[in-house]
Amino acid sequence: MRYHIENKIYHIEILPPKQDSENLERDLELFAEKYTRVMDSGYCACITDNAMGHLSFQGTEMIEELGLPVYPEQVMIHLNTFHTREDLDNILNYCIEKGIKYLLVVSGDGSERLPKLKPSDIGAPGIESVTSVELLQYISREYLGKFVLGVAFNPYEPEDHEFAKLKRKLAAGASFIITQPIIERNAVVDRLIAKYPDIPVIVEAWMSKKLHLLSDAVGYTIPENTGFDPIATLKLLHQAYPQNGFYLSLLGFKTQYDLIRDLWV
Amino acid sequence: MKLVVCIKQVPASNDAKIDPETKRIIREGQKAIMNPFDTYALEEGVRLKEKYGGEVIALSMGLPKAEAVLREAISAGADRGILLSDRAFGGSDTWATSYALAKAIEKIGDVDLVICGKQAIDGDTAQVGPGIASHLDWMQATYVMAVDGIEADTVIVKRMHEDSYDVCELRLPAVLTVVKDINTPRVPTLKGRLAAQKSEIPVWKPEDIGADPDKLGLNGSPTRVVKTQPPEPRHIDTLRIEGAPRECARALVRELKRRGLV
Repeated sequence: MRYHIENKIYHIEILPPKQDSENLERDLELFAEKYTRVMDSGYCACITDNAMGHLSFQGTEMIEELGLPVYPEQVMIHLNTFHTREDLDNILNYCIEKGIKYLLVVSGDGSERLPKLKPSDIGAPGIESVTSVELLQYISREYLGKFVLGVAFNPYEPEDHEFAKLKRKLAAGASFIITQPIIERNAVVDRLIAKYPDIPVIVEAWMSKKLHLLSDAVGYTIPENTGFDPIATLKLLHQAYPQNGFYLSLLGFKTQYDLIRDLWV
Repeated sequence: MKLVVCIKQVPASNDAKIDPETKRIIREGQKAIMNPFDTYALEEGVRLKEKYGGEVIALSMGLPKAEAVLREAISAGADRGILLSDRAFGGSDTWATSYALAKAIEKIGDVDLVICGKQAIDGDTAQVGPGIASHLDWMQATYVMAVDGIEADTVIVKRMHEDSYDVCELRLPAVLTVVKDINTPRVPTLKGRLAAQKSEIPVWKPEDIGADPDKLGLNGSPTRVVKTQPPEPRHIDTLRIEGAPRECARALVRELKRRGLV
């Protein structure tokens, strides 16, 4: 992951089409366009896993069905705990086959329609429910050395609790960290970077103009009409965190993509 | 084995509107989904096919747009879909509907097992599955929470009760209606979804299934709906507890005790 930071490789989030897409062909084309653009730019495509609990297609099946190329340094798959053991292993084995090595392991939001990994599925008896920690342990143990595993860090959660959780995630095999989206210098992120100087920390920058959508993440209501300039904010974040990588969520491919090219200097 | 899974397209739960004249649900122009209970029936059918081999046929009756739920069924593992759609079917109650579905099942031929969700979320009658069994004169088990096995010409199931279950052995062919506890439905794959889009969905009319027109639609429906109205929205009593974590925890425990919940 250091390679990504040293070579100024943005992590660009791409959401696969939703299961209830009313125009799947169009959505598949759009996904392929975005993915190809990210590959051509030399950035890293980060494909979400049923983000926010919305039923969507898996990143691996998108790559497979659309015949998209995989460059190992340029693809990251999100993986959450809402899978059957069989599906989980299928995803992991497909990643190995295609050379996908970066995984962002998260607990996930889930949904009524999604199966949840059971502790017994992944050899973790004695716990109530599987979290990213047990999933990390499973992948680290069963797929030893096959993946580079990352985890999320939420600066909006109670700090002691979040750092304790992070410690368990790192002990379980994580080797890089991606923060929740921030829109300015964040004191908790600063402490994270100071506490783990040897672990690559990727700062997530919120790229949607709709700042109010961040309300749930930050835990307070952001009014709908709040003005926000994502590109200007990204510039400021680069200045604030010159030694870190950047993950861009909800990036506008039509209006913003060309503008980010020269921001990371 | 040949399995038929009956699937109904229903209005998305908060969208139901009733025709004041006919007292029936207005389906045109409404957002529609697969009846959630039918997703469990479909999953069980697909699992049985995977275990014992054979074919799963998704069968639905409804407006032409109900084809969408059959494609969804194919994307989740059904081999093919058949839609009963014609004006003559319109206005059918559960008896006429189960008659039409039974005639379609006869036409499909050599069916071993019919699986339905326990009920549809729009009518909530839970009558169509048993109605099909009655029209076909087949054995039936309702509220099935597990299919324990299929041997030669019998199926063994568990029927759910509030705090226990029956184990029943049924002679095949048979009809089952299933509850949510039976499985966790799989999420369709992209490959399945793409295949489903290309599938041909035959549309059968009354004459295709040899149905007696007098037993279909309003004429064939003994039920007369006198009055229908959506249920009152549920009022959820919400209490927001604020303050320091320790105080909040104390207040929460006090409140739970006050309500007799702990």
